[in-house]
Amino acid sequence: MIRLYHVSKTYGGQHALDDVSVQVPKGQFAYVTGPSGAGKSTLLKLLYGAERPTSGKLLVGGVDASKLNGRQLPFLRRNIGVVFQDFKLIPNRNVYDNVGLALEVLGTPRVQIDRRVRAVLNTVGLMGKEQRLPEALSGGEQQRVAVARAIINDPAIILADEPTGNLDGAMAVEVMEILRAVNLRGTTVFVATHDAALINRFPARRLHFDSGKLVSS
Amino acid sequence: MSGTTPHVLRRALRSLWENRSLNLVASGVIAAALMLAGVYLTVIVNLEGMVSSWERDVHVSAYFYADVPVDRRFAIKDDIARLTEVASVRYLSEEDARAYLGEKVPEVSPILDELGEGVLPASLEITLVDQFTGSQEVGTFAEQLKGPDFEEVDYGQEWVQRFNTFLSLLQALGVALGALILTASVFLVANAMHLVIYTRRAELETMKLVGATWAFISTPFLIEGALQGLFGAALAVAGVYGLHHFLLLRLQDYLHLALGSETLAFLPAGHLVGLAAAGVVLGVLGCLTAVRRFWGAAA
Repeated sequence: MIRLYHVSKTYGGQHALDDVSVQVPKGQFAYVTGPSGAGKSTLLKLLYGAERPTSGKLLVGGVDASKLNGRQLPFLRRNIGVVFQDFKLIPNRNVYDNVGLALEVLGTPRVQIDRRVRAVLNTVGLMGKEQRLPEALSGGEQQRVAVARAIINDPAIILADEPTGNLDGAMAVEVMEILRAVNLRGTTVFVATHDAALINRFPARRLHFDSGKLVSS
Repeated sequence: MSGTTPHVLRRALRSLWENRSLNLVASGVIAAALMLAGVYLTVIVNLEGMVSSWERDVHVSAYFYADVPVDRRFAIKDDIARLTEVASVRYLSEEDARAYLGEKVPEVSPILDELGEGVLPASLEITLVDQFTGSQEVGTFAEQLKGPDFEEVDYGQEWVQRFNTFLSLLQALGVALGALILTASVFLVANAMHLVIYTRRAELETMKLVGATWAFISTPFLIEGALQGLFGAALAVAGVYGLHHFLLLRLQDYLHLALGSETLAFLPAGHLVGLAAAGVVLGVLGCLTAVRRFWGAAA
């Protein structure tokens, strides 16, 4: 599903990722761990095409993500759901619109969007809050909206960059349980985190980075 | 109609409403630019009409010396009337000339009265048949008339030619200035749209993140630009029409003298369609510039 061959990424001569080679099979749950500046976020950015590797080859679902142009990139992203630490919700759109956006860009008819949004809000436990604006939700609820948006079109891969970084313990566990449930349905899930307690509670494969190098996997 | 079309239209209409102040600014910029273009075109249309009426109305005025006896004047008139180039000849005595001028410009009547007789010479007003109204033919005909009986032979063709040259110059200048004004308005519309995009950048970034294509993101803005342009063009046409109406009321008494017509022509339908199309192009270009700037920066 995801294969990296000698991938490096440098910013101004500094290695954010240094000669990383790794394979993650379809349906696996993997943590990307390491201290701040280890390269966790850079790896995720490379995977969803926000950045291009300086060298090396990066296959996502059989597609070389490093060679996609601007026209092709959206089609890669439709197979990847992304969850951020700061949620990245649209502040002036309600929960329904935020979640439905991922289906709108695919041209899904309104009736189907309506059905899917209600189903996925039910999955993340936000039924009844469709009309709320993000600012009217707690941090945990906002992150569940972000997860709902990431999973609504059944992507093959979920990338979560510190998804529990802004949440307290109970809320973090709720979000991780949702990601685990998504993974059990066959979705490959990458979670970048340095929360050891969470990793212990939901054990899975760890790709540990330090100074841009993959030190254990 | 693709599956994204309803979403794109909905987004365009929603953005128009949610950013109505900025959209009004953009439409106002387009309206101002197109109103300048519309006023310019109205001037050109009327000047062209004026030249065209002059060209159709080619005639030669031959002014008699004051000492030419009246019976000789009529004999000369009959001789000229027999020439093949001539369609008609009218004798205009000094009294006729005074009456004509007094009727057209009443203000000069007291001055003429004060100056007394012999100020306005008697003349023959000669209208030529159509095939002799070309500038060269008229010039040759006027040369033939010159002789001991006429103090001056005047024909407007040379002046019409000079005016035509001036008109061409005015048109070239208008095209250059128009290009500058329209380019500036694209820049201003782009900046207004850039502000719209800036207020929606979180939404657009998220759309890119979930796999929105360039077409999905840009099309609502282009529709918005087209509608802004149409609205701006409508405002401009209304403005030009208002100005036209105002000038028509104010200048009605002078129009016949200046333009040879009782009315001031408004822009023909083709020009109005052109203004509307220009509005759409300006709006779309402005929005396209702003979206490309956002897309490039986001990339």
